Amino acid sequence: MRIIQHPILGEYEKGEKVHFTLDGEDMTGFEGEAIAAALKAAGIMIHRYTVKEHKPRGLFCAIGRCTDCVMIVNGQSNVRTCITPLEEGMIVQTQYGVEAQEVWEANNK
Amino acid sequence: MRRHELIVIGAGPAGLSAAIEAKKAGMDVVVFDENERPGGQLFKQIHKFFGSREHHAKVRGFRIGQELLQEAESLGVDVKLNSVVMGIYENKEVTVKKDNAVNHYKADAIIIATGAAENMLPFKGWDIPGVIGAGAAQTMMNIQGVQPGSKVLMVGSGNVGLVVSFQLLQAGCEIVGIIDAAPRVGGYGVHAAKVARTGVPFYLSHTIVEAKGTDCVTGAVIAQVDDRFQPIPGTEKELSVDTICVAVGLTPMAQLASNATCDIALLPQKGGHVALLSKCGETSVEGIYCAGDVAGIEEASSAMIQGRSVATYVCLKAGYLSEEEFQEKYDRYQAALGQLRQGMFSPENKGRNDFTVTDEGYPVSSNLLAHGYMTEDELDNFPAYTYKKAGVHPVIECTQNIPCNPCQDSCKVGCIKVGENITMLPAIDEEKKCVGCGMCVASCSGQAIFLVDETYGEGYATVAFPYEFIPVPQVGDQGTALDRQGKPVCAADIVEVKKSSVMDKTVVVTMKVPLAFVNSARFYKAGGQRG
Repeated sequence: MRIIQHPILGEYEKGEKVHFTLDGEDMTGFEGEAIAAALKAAGIMIHRYTVKEHKPRGLFCAIGRCTDCVMIVNGQSNVRTCITPLEEGMIVQTQYGVEAQEVWEANNK
Repeated sequence: MRRHELIVIGAGPAGLSAAIEAKKAGMDVVVFDENERPGGQLFKQIHKFFGSREHHAKVRGFRIGQELLQEAESLGVDVKLNSVVMGIYENKEVTVKKDNAVNHYKADAIIIATGAAENMLPFKGWDIPGVIGAGAAQTMMNIQGVQPGSKVLMVGSGNVGLVVSFQLLQAGCEIVGIIDAAPRVGGYGVHAAKVARTGVPFYLSHTIVEAKGTDCVTGAVIAQVDDRFQPIPGTEKELSVDTICVAVGLTPMAQLASNATCDIALLPQKGGHVALLSKCGETSVEGIYCAGDVAGIEEASSAMIQGRSVATYVCLKAGYLSEEEFQEKYDRYQAALGQLRQGMFSPENKGRNDFTVTDEGYPVSSNLLAHGYMTEDELDNFPAYTYKKAGVHPVIECTQNIPCNPCQDSCKVGCIKVGENITMLPAIDEEKKCVGCGMCVASCSGQAIFLVDETYGEGYATVAFPYEFIPVPQVGDQGTALDRQGKPVCAADIVEVKKSSVMDKTVVVTMKVPLAFVNSARFYKAGGQRG
């Protein structure tokens, strides 16, 4: 959930409202905020599944160090969503191993 | 290949301070930082800092960050962002990756100010989404404006765990509990107390056994530990949480110093592997220095002074400062650092748990260490708590020797004295008449000062306390007074609410309570059973 009013910080300075997609679904967020922040605000917890054991991973360090939150952004795998600013029209996909779901499923039949 | 006189790696509090100091002296300096924004972790720190005026005490961390950035900008310090320093090579050559290109730089001196990384704790289910670092929680709520979760278990009772717990409460999250495997609260007692009085339970000698859930955290199993930190079977307890926040310490990020062939040693009181440094901050490789958390885990306040101190030595060696100029600045910075490095929580006392009395000889509170709050019996040992006078007067529940004195500076009538040594507990000067302005309440970074008036009349007393949540109570509100562990004690009426720009968002709220509860009522919640 977004914090609308904070006792110390007041209102947060946010960019323009933008649209993006997550696995084809329409989502909204604010330009310049971390992709992970927009996802968290929408209640999304799973960013990717691990290669070998197919276990879910999500936000962990939020400063671009641990790489747990990587996703496919505009076709590029392994993008650290916690430090990558959100832009209008971004295509964000849950990452399966290092691939998109359909590629992963085709390879793991 | 570009040449500079000084390369600073890291634009956090230490790196920026070092660059400012060097630039002021006239040096050609460049700062590299891998992040999109400068300031390191300072902009996540929304609490008021400790120390004295020269350490920016009672100023919130992010405001100190803004001041530092302004100073750097006005001097024209060149800060290159999104620039990852990949390695340090022979003759102080540095490779920097930016936008998928790698550039080479060379310098006469390099200051490594790369800070620290969070420690992690492996337990069953620690990789489930919803287990996050304390820093991640701060980034989400204080930078991005998004709640990290709604029901949070905090693992770790050091200052980071305590401060982040308070910030989570400010962000509107619920803290289900704070656990620590140690038998004692690790951070400042005042940080624990301000969380405890909101009703957050502390579980000392407890560890996390398991995070429950498959796609995301749905619960946490905690258990009591024995004196060898092993879980005691049968003591498991499941808490309903959606977020587990891990705050179990920091480790210096000394990889670049190691890569530059500096002598490294494992020094537990510094938090891990660090470069061995001369007293001026130079590593075993001439011209390569370390400052800030990379040299040993401390506070941001210390990091800023260390940065400046190291930079003055670099300036001396490069001929930008005379021996006299250097000595004057160096002595000043070392004195300021020395003040911060005293008391029960000083770097050299790290891990010590054998304090039985304060420097003044008062017995330390064991309940504070075991449960996060003090009992009235324990407080009775402290004169600044027991002091009574007709009319309004301060009641100070500051019982550990930590380096801090804004209460002394804030009192216009000189009621509160800390003295030269800023780790001494504040004392009340009985000759001076408190005017009830509330400045001490708002300026105490530990939120440990209350203004009490036992002579309010008709069997009532007033208690003024610091309040940093929303909604802020309004005059005329009727609610419930809470005690030091957040338990409802009596009905409370709000009779005064003070806000001012110098108080910087700390609101001083005064509640009227029956006289019998004047020593127990320390916080307030709206509503509740009255009568």
